[in-house]
Amino acid sequence: MRKIGLLVLVLVLFGGVVASAEELRVYTWSEYMDEEKMPADFEEKFGIKVRLDIYENNEEMVAKLQAGGASQYDIIVPSDYIMPVLINQQLIQPLDHAKLPNLKNLKPLFREASYDPGNKYSVAYQWGTVGLMYRKDKISDAAAQSWSVLFEADKQAGAFWLIDSVREMIGIALVYQGKDFNSTNPKDLKAAADLLVAAKRTKNCMGFKPGVGGKNDVVAGTAVAAIVYNGDAIQSVTEEPDKLGFVIPSEGSEIWYDSMCIPSKAPNPDAAHKWINWLLEPEVGAELSNYNQYATPNAAAEAFITPEDLKNPGIYPTPAIMKKLHFTKDLGKDNRIMDEAWTRAKSH
Amino acid sequence: MKRAESVISWYGELTTRRQLLKRGALLLTPGMFWLMLFLVLPGLVLVAVSVVTRGAYGQLEWVFTLENYKRLAGFTLFGWTPDYLMILWRSVVVALFTTLVSVILSYPLCFFIAGRPERSRYMWLTLVIIPFWTNMVIRAYAWFLILSPELPFARLAAMFGFISDGAPLYPNAFAVYLGMVSMFLPFVTLPLYASVERLDWSLVEAAQDLYASRIRVFTQAILPQTMPGLSVGIILTFVPAMGMFVVPDLLGGAKYMLVGNLIQQQFGASRDWPFGAAISMGLMVLTMIGLQIYRRKGKEIEVI
Amino acid sequence: MRRQHPLIVAISYLTMVFLYLPLAGVAVFSVNAARRGMVWKGFTLKWYLKLFENDWILEAAWNTLLLAVVSTVIATILGTILAIAMDRYPWRSRTSSFLDIILHIPVIIPDIILAASLVVAFGLLRLASSIFEPGLFNMIIGHITFQIAFVALVVRSRLVAIGREVEEAARDLFATNGYLLRKVMLPLLMPGIIAGAMLAFTLSLDDFVISFFTAGPDSQTLPLFIFAAVRRGVTPQIHALSTLIMLVTVVLVVLTERFTRHR
Repeated sequence: MRKIGLLVLVLVLFGGVVASAEELRVYTWSEYMDEEKMPADFEEKFGIKVRLDIYENNEEMVAKLQAGGASQYDIIVPSDYIMPVLINQQLIQPLDHAKLPNLKNLKPLFREASYDPGNKYSVAYQWGTVGLMYRKDKISDAAAQSWSVLFEADKQAGAFWLIDSVREMIGIALVYQGKDFNSTNPKDLKAAADLLVAAKRTKNCMGFKPGVGGKNDVVAGTAVAAIVYNGDAIQSVTEEPDKLGFVIPSEGSEIWYDSMCIPSKAPNPDAAHKWINWLLEPEVGAELSNYNQYATPNAAAEAFITPEDLKNPGIYPTPAIMKKLHFTKDLGKDNRIMDEAWTRAKSH
Repeated sequence: MKRAESVISWYGELTTRRQLLKRGALLLTPGMFWLMLFLVLPGLVLVAVSVVTRGAYGQLEWVFTLENYKRLAGFTLFGWTPDYLMILWRSVVVALFTTLVSVILSYPLCFFIAGRPERSRYMWLTLVIIPFWTNMVIRAYAWFLILSPELPFARLAAMFGFISDGAPLYPNAFAVYLGMVSMFLPFVTLPLYASVERLDWSLVEAAQDLYASRIRVFTQAILPQTMPGLSVGIILTFVPAMGMFVVPDLLGGAKYMLVGNLIQQQFGASRDWPFGAAISMGLMVLTMIGLQIYRRKGKEIEVI
Repeated sequence: MRRQHPLIVAISYLTMVFLYLPLAGVAVFSVNAARRGMVWKGFTLKWYLKLFENDWILEAAWNTLLLAVVSTVIATILGTILAIAMDRYPWRSRTSSFLDIILHIPVIIPDIILAASLVVAFGLLRLASSIFEPGLFNMIIGHITFQIAFVALVVRSRLVAIGREVEEAARDLFATNGYLLRKVMLPLLMPGIIAGAMLAFTLSLDDFVISFFTAGPDSQTLPLFIFAAVRRGVTPQIHALSTLIMLVTVVLVVLTERFTRHR
């Protein structure tokens, strides 16, 4: 019996090695692509099986990479502000542009992104915003224009979720109180954390949930409002426009862009490059955006995007809305105080 | 001749103590080596990590610091706060409550089962064992259904204003307590039953014949006899309950944080292993204190 | 049979209802045709059928089983040897209490501390060798670590119960060590070993915390899968999966009862 156990153990260990040769491991956000069709299409075209693993926020993804995941995934999809962490901690590898001829399809803005000029490590994937998703029968369109519908107890209309993502949530709390979205001033951060604690303690607040989870609850009716990423929200709003709404409140919110990167010890970097190049193709890029309702950074893909989406201010914000949107900045050494503020907000 | 060299008869075998111990050490090695390598050593490493610094990007910087413990005691960058101590305290309270309620519910249940005819006793025990062996994630999330907004429980709470209309009766403290008790009840019932089954009812009857009050009958005749099973049950409940994280996470969310969630957060999104290690040490200390108090109390009761 | 106080009977029944109500809810809704909400839309087995089409679930089930079997086998062997070594040899009392304490550690400490120390230890071991990536290997190690203690404790209590007489009698009859072990000790010890193994097996199947902290991308187990899924939103498919797991549990429990009763 001992021998069998040993044999099984050996098989298991080697099995892991063999599997990665024909496999592409993608670590991405939940519901960020058609999780059945896209991997299937890729497999059909390139003969490489795609395995998806899901995360709900950047910090969770980085934690996993730091705990050993850097040698277990081929593709990750980090947001803009977390790039310096990945680069500094050598968790991602430089891209081989020779394998990415479709790079030219990107809009110029995304070829010279602040965190990674020249696309040394990353290729833009989608970009979008964060906003308030709400049920129209409980919250009027006018009331939804302000974050106070969440933060002020007498304006709350029912059960709601805050978003379980440190920079978005604290940033929103900061701009709601008139401070800088990226402030590292301890006083500002304390005030922001205390605002979140106060909101969390009201009977209407159910706690923190990742954007997708909050969206699902609003759609199901168990919540009347949630802080959600725009694409997730709009997917549902277009299905039930009289019941559900999405807006970016006037105090301001976040604009972000996600990129595809290859972890430093990825098992199959070759397949990873193929994946990135394939997603840069105009039709594929457009199919992606048409599905997840986010904005595409791909100039060539715009020709294939549904016209209604191009006109939808929820997906492609108007210049007026753009003024209220802030990019999240990496804080370097001050990341620490941001994390402590978050722990404070969640544990108080 | 030294003691170790003298021939002894050990389990019928004629041999010297030294030879026996040599053989014993050989047998001891695989198991103990494993435990040393993967239990004791990692524990020591955890203690070490609790006194190092967390780098700006979440990595470990091997610089000695007591800041993690200071932060645990409340001295954060935002001034003093009792947050973390509150969470530790809350975990102890929840664990105590869970244990207490589980004990209170287990005694009647054990008496009931012990009083059943022999055949159906096994059936009842099996009925208790089944949830005990069922996965705790399933048992925790199953409460989502019972506490959902459409059912009368949530509706009642909304009527009284505890929660908003149409909201489910979780996440909150009530749901956590509910989940914890349902999770740990069999942990007390099963060991306790082992003792209750062997209860000498003649002692109980004797106490009743002497006109002892119900309470005295319990404390003098029943409790001491069931002490062994009760002890096991209490330890098996109180200690894991303090470090529980599935139930508070699913049923309490961020609204009712316990120390298990706090530790998990540090090893997850907060990427602060040193702080997580320090909190673990805090939990460890509390566990040890709890066990000590329990052992002392246990001795007292036996003396009575 | 003694007359039972009606209050005791009532509380007992209520307690059982309390224990089973949530589980019954899951089972009921696993055959409900409605995708969302608490309305009853008719009986259906489609959610169960969908389970078998879901590759991820099948893989998680396989991982769970593999992990449990491998770790149980190794832990039972190591634990049994450890129990024999601790009980059947004349250690000084200081040594034996030291060994005793070490053995009780996994049982006594909250498993999140165990998990945290494993994460940290594997993090450092990873610098030495890449075999310590999060994954099935790490999970097996983690499971064995707490299983050894449980197996050893169970086997040891069985050893104590067996006592000295049988061995002494066998030696009086000039049995050799090897014969003694195979034909006398092991058969007597078998119920204890099997009980320890079954306990270890269940603990592994059921484990969440240790697995959560040591799992890698291709080593999802069923408890981890369910946990991740219910955080995003409960679906009838998850109810179906849970009900199946509960049924398997019932079968395991009944089998164990039969087996131990038989002995």
